[in-house]
Amino acid sequence: MFRILKKSIKTGVVTGQHPAAQPAEGSTPEAREKARPFRRSLAVREVDTGSCNACEMEMNALANPIYDVERFGVHIAASPRHADALVVTGPVTFNMERALHDVYKQTPDPKIVIALGDCAVNCGVFKGSYGVTGPVDRHVPVDLRIPGCPPRPAEILKALEELRASRQSTEK
Amino acid sequence: MADASAAAALLKREFPEAIVGTASIHGTPWLRVRTNQVPLVVHYLHTKPDLRGSLSLLWAVDHRPREARYEVLYLFALAERRDWLLLSTDLSDEARLFKSITPHIHAAQWYEREIRDMFGLIPQGHPDLRRLIRHEHWPKGTHPLKKDFPWDRTLGRQQGDYRFRHIEGEGVFEVPVGPIHAGIIEPGHFRFSVAGEPIMQLEVRHFWKHRGIEKLFEQQRLADAVPLAERVSGDTTIGHSLAYCQAVETLLRVDVPRRARYLRSLFLELERLHNHLGDVGAICNDTAYALAHAHCGRMKERIMQLNDRVTGSRFLRDTMTVGGVTRDITAQQRGEIVDVLDQIEKDFSELESIIFANASLTDRLETTGVLTERIAWDHGVIGVVGRASGIDQDVRRDRPFAAYDEIRPKVALYRYGDVRARLRVRMDEIHDSIRLIREIRLKLPDGPTAGEPGHEPRPGDWALSAVEGWRGEILYFIMAGEDGRIHRCKVRDPSFVNWPAIQWAVVGNIIPDFPLINKSFNLSYAGNDL
Repeated sequence: MFRILKKSIKTGVVTGQHPAAQPAEGSTPEAREKARPFRRSLAVREVDTGSCNACEMEMNALANPIYDVERFGVHIAASPRHADALVVTGPVTFNMERALHDVYKQTPDPKIVIALGDCAVNCGVFKGSYGVTGPVDRHVPVDLRIPGCPPRPAEILKALEELRASRQSTEK
Repeated sequence: MADASAAAALLKREFPEAIVGTASIHGTPWLRVRTNQVPLVVHYLHTKPDLRGSLSLLWAVDHRPREARYEVLYLFALAERRDWLLLSTDLSDEARLFKSITPHIHAAQWYEREIRDMFGLIPQGHPDLRRLIRHEHWPKGTHPLKKDFPWDRTLGRQQGDYRFRHIEGEGVFEVPVGPIHAGIIEPGHFRFSVAGEPIMQLEVRHFWKHRGIEKLFEQQRLADAVPLAERVSGDTTIGHSLAYCQAVETLLRVDVPRRARYLRSLFLELERLHNHLGDVGAICNDTAYALAHAHCGRMKERIMQLNDRVTGSRFLRDTMTVGGVTRDITAQQRGEIVDVLDQIEKDFSELESIIFANASLTDRLETTGVLTERIAWDHGVIGVVGRASGIDQDVRRDRPFAAYDEIRPKVALYRYGDVRARLRVRMDEIHDSIRLIREIRLKLPDGPTAGEPGHEPRPGDWALSAVEGWRGEILYFIMAGEDGRIHRCKVRDPSFVNWPAIQWAVVGNIIPDFPLINKSFNLSYAGNDL
């Protein structure tokens, strides 16, 4: 017990100890309007449709103590039925196409779809292959694109923050 | 014995009728065997006590347009020294049948189903000829790796169904899981048959992420395909790109400078470190021990940030190139790496003692998901999972590449084959990787970081390479085509071999322990599905 306490005290608070992200290309006003209901809380369901797993690792990193995405009201939902947003990674393979359509239908409205990583945005290095039917926006409407191979966790945070920022002054 | 050329001579003596030709390519003895005699020869090779050949790789090549034939190749690793021996057999374009070796060697099972799906060659006598990669909606007659199949073809859809292995009886239920899972993980389908809580049977159904990587390789030139290799399995960026580069370097006869070989080892160990740290945390997390997960997540993040500072990529991308490495590491950066790792080793050692002082945690780990040595050997299991089940294999020691002929790893070996043993292997390897990186820092020689190609490969030349990635042995077979293009690239991630074994490790365990067992294997879906 003392060992655990000692370790915790020694470690201290590590949240936020990461390099700042480059400013991302902004989200569209339509996407921000759609994200309005989720400004305080956003439940995210991650769907992998054929990525190389690097994007998943960076999504997982968001939950570690350094990025701690929950402090911004973002949490990972275990089922699409509990989700406000789908984060789709990968170029949408021929075998995952149907699962993506299903998961989109299962997610209750209002919902936003985020294409994460170059593969989801434009199929990346897998473009054109017989096994790939993407990109994501060929199958479901995409509201926000976060490019990068893979995007750094700080960049994902930044893009989510941008999307959900209140901009009363410009919107009214 | 187990010297590969002696073994080849022995096989030739024992089966003079079956063996129609011998050769030796890049030091690997190569026997051509008559198609219908293959099972006989491999059975002998697999079971004879002083040979104990275990199947490392089984793949096919379509030689068109140069020659109208297919070739099926079998790569065996012999006994303790794990020397390679290659067998092959030719199939004419019309015959399209070859004899299955699965009845003799379990490890061949998925390979032969893969060949059937990708080439339309039929393994006669295979006990399970269901589709593997082509899911039920793929149209009949689509075999993507045949040379007359266009790489960018748009596939139609057909109706079809997939029959899972089925257990019937009172109180037996089937539990389907996936392809989309509750956590942030890759897609795959698991079908459990349970009676109450204990699992009677698990069937793994994968290949949801099949992106056609081997066909994409065939569209590229030898020198240009490193970015694709990096994305076979993103968490094994260095493992795959290094294995690819080594195979191409053998073909192009590039002499990789010593400094580049040391830096390759450095990057490979950094990759092993951040993945193993993540796994230790994730295994603890699956027993609901969130504290260890948080600490490991923090340490893993520190290493990934270190990667980013040193190479500009958290996953060490764009560091490998054919002939060497693209990035040099300055003395100051080396100092920084070792400083960070010194702190992490101390940090991690403290965490280890906290983890093993926790009785309720170790209780969940011990005797859970046991993979016995016998089953592991039968399935040719390799890597971390193999070493936890007493399979003493590590490419870094057995077939040294990069700088491992000068800096020798200590191979972690455990015998119990349970979740705890797999955790221990990872923990030991974390310490050993840090030790290796310290050694690299001291011994790093001066010199250039990339070599020049010295040879233009002829169409049909091929090379094999092996790398001990953090999951285990990664194999690449590359055959050159016309004008420096790739004719065939066979990629084998260790996950492809270890996935079938998990079906055995879970039998008798309860379903709530499956996530824990699965995490302790932590196999790649992307690298498996290609």
